Amino acid sequence: MASVQTRRGGARGAALRDLAGRWAFMAPAAALLGLTLAYPIFYTIQISFSELNLGTFQPDGFVGWDNYRTVIEDDRFWQALRVTAIYLVAALPLQIVLGFSIAWLINAEWQGRGVVRALFIIPMVVAPVVAGGVWRMILDPLWGLANHLIGLFGLGPVDWLGDPTLAMATVVIIDTWRWTPFVVLIATAAILALPKEVFEAADVDGANWWYKLRWIALPLLMPMIAATFVVRWLGAVKMFDIALAATGGGPGHATAVINLFIYDEAFRSLRFAESSAMAIIVLALTMILTGLFLLGARRLERRY
Amino acid sequence: MQSNHSGWRIDRRAALTAALALIAAAPALAQEGLGTAAAPVEVRMIANEAFARQWQTAMVPEFNKKFPHVKVTIDGVPYNELLAKSLLDVTGASPLYDVIIADDPWTPQLAQTGSLLDLKKDAAAWTDKDFDWDDFNAAPLAASSWNGVQYGVPLRSNMLLMFYNRTLYQKAGVPEPTPKLTWDEYMAQAPKLVQDTKGGGKPDAWAIGTYFMRDVLTPTIWQTILNSNGGQLLDKDMKPAFVTPDGIKALQTHIDLVKFAPPGAASHGFNESLQAFRQGQVATMFMWGSVFKGTAVDAATTTLKPEQVGIQVMPAGSKGPGAHRGIWSGVVSKKSKNPRAAFALLQWLSSKEGEKWHANTLGVFPARKSTLAAKPESDWLVPVYAALQQAYEAAQAGQMWRPRHPKSDAVQQALADETARAISGQATAEAALKAAAARIERVLR
Repeated sequence: MASVQTRRGGARGAALRDLAGRWAFMAPAAALLGLTLAYPIFYTIQISFSELNLGTFQPDGFVGWDNYRTVIEDDRFWQALRVTAIYLVAALPLQIVLGFSIAWLINAEWQGRGVVRALFIIPMVVAPVVAGGVWRMILDPLWGLANHLIGLFGLGPVDWLGDPTLAMATVVIIDTWRWTPFVVLIATAAILALPKEVFEAADVDGANWWYKLRWIALPLLMPMIAATFVVRWLGAVKMFDIALAATGGGPGHATAVINLFIYDEAFRSLRFAESSAMAIIVLALTMILTGLFLLGARRLERRY
Repeated sequence: MQSNHSGWRIDRRAALTAALALIAAAPALAQEGLGTAAAPVEVRMIANEAFARQWQTAMVPEFNKKFPHVKVTIDGVPYNELLAKSLLDVTGASPLYDVIIADDPWTPQLAQTGSLLDLKKDAAAWTDKDFDWDDFNAAPLAASSWNGVQYGVPLRSNMLLMFYNRTLYQKAGVPEPTPKLTWDEYMAQAPKLVQDTKGGGKPDAWAIGTYFMRDVLTPTIWQTILNSNGGQLLDKDMKPAFVTPDGIKALQTHIDLVKFAPPGAASHGFNESLQAFRQGQVATMFMWGSVFKGTAVDAATTTLKPEQVGIQVMPAGSKGPGAHRGIWSGVVSKKSKNPRAAFALLQWLSSKEGEKWHANTLGVFPARKSTLAAKPESDWLVPVYAALQQAYEAAQAGQMWRPRHPKSDAVQQALADETARAISGQATAEAALKAAAARIERVLR
């Protein structure tokens, strides 16, 4: 009996030691995360329920849900959310479709494929503010390259950045130029990882390229497409710099995405408390939608 | 006795040594707070990155000729982050910066934190006798004062002025503008200034380049029109006072200017309008005077020559010509460990001697009447100084500046948003002004 108890105690001790060992490795990372992630989030939450004293730059008095009420009653907040939704609905599917299509094309054997792949990386490494500025010059109706080129076909001049509808299209184009290569990189890796024997079997059965794409490649790639969508969604929902550099949120409010709006309210209007409330609302919305997308991605994984 | 005598001798020697040491130390005591060769003091400044490096490399060495033991470090910060960073720093327990370079509307925001030195009181003992406060033009000096307290000195003065291309005016057969030109006359001339100068069958030169995009400086154009007709943005109780026929007409004039601007001008701001003018594509430009050198003189940045470019106050309304103030002022943090050295830097740079050096060497616009009245070293500065002096007087008379309130930036942002909506056709001038007024009332409540 005693030996059984000793053995049990020994096992528990070993388990505890094991747990302690694991936490010893985890602790530095957890502490770092706590400092760099949790602290700013909790501080933002604290400010969102307070009045921020600009004299001391400290939260000054609990105001309950007042800041949230102010935000919810502000038409401009909903307008910015609408603008963000338009941008996401236009940009994300475009980038995913383009990215996977380009990856499929450059996956085929052809000369110069390596150079094209390398060139694709360039937009990703250009600083977004620089990219926005360069595109602003390219699209300028007076001396921009874009209008010069379409002018050769007797078209234009097009006011890319001055027309509210076109300005949003322009932001989507710039963002797509910047982020499609990222999707191409992931898609290329996914396509290369597809089992060759399945395609060889399809070839033996006389399947054409469309059949192989529609009924073999796409189902096999679906989990990866879903995962890429979630990753891009998390990046796109934070979009701010391209809009700031290319259009400044204008004309009017046409391209004032939610993050640009929060930035303007916080750092230009110095409404830090209300901006914190906006940030928390956006964080909650993003978490809910990300959760839904992850659920969808898991279902697709199970289905295919 | 012997020993006493010896002791007296020793005491006498000690006293003599102490006296000599005191005499030697006297200048150092007089310069207390300004450092010594053995123990220099450090002054740290936060400034707009647009000119921080120029100051660090050119202005600081000049300052050090006079104050060799004050080490000055200038940190350049992008304009959009400068106010928030300055506020964060100055309100901290131990601020990093001794000197803050504040844009025109920021003094109330910084001052309300209670963290700035009152220069005429707290720094009075360090102020040189020949530092002439009355020599400053009232408008630039007022940029760094709030509620009757002088918190700063003007260091880089600027005014919104009217630039015009003489060649394009001649080609259009339109008389060159004078300070008496009214907005109605200007709008009547504008269609003639849209012209086909190269015979290509379509316009290749337009009337106007200025701010139209969503930017906090864009509303300054119609604000100036409103001010030159006697209107103000806020009344004495800090309530919006611009939803009036004059206000609506002023914004409508700004909107109408787009018709005579180059294609795509609705998204033009500082860079685009400047570029269009420098390339000879627009006949007039409402822009900050400080760009004159790069626009008319410096061949590396412009296609125009000084004789081609005219500069004057903006067109007149019923009360007189227009201008809009944009002054960078230097203020000192109350928690500075070296306030005397920090003030010495500001005092030197804004003194008659320092301002002349600054204007002649770096081309920075002066705020002092004596500097503006003196003959500048470069001939191109002569018409610029004349326009600047007129603009200071116009701005002072019509109170042509952004709102003086701790929430001035929020007010200007509301105006920028609604002005952009009106210019892009998403709202009428009246609807945009009403929306801006409602927002500003909420902000200032």
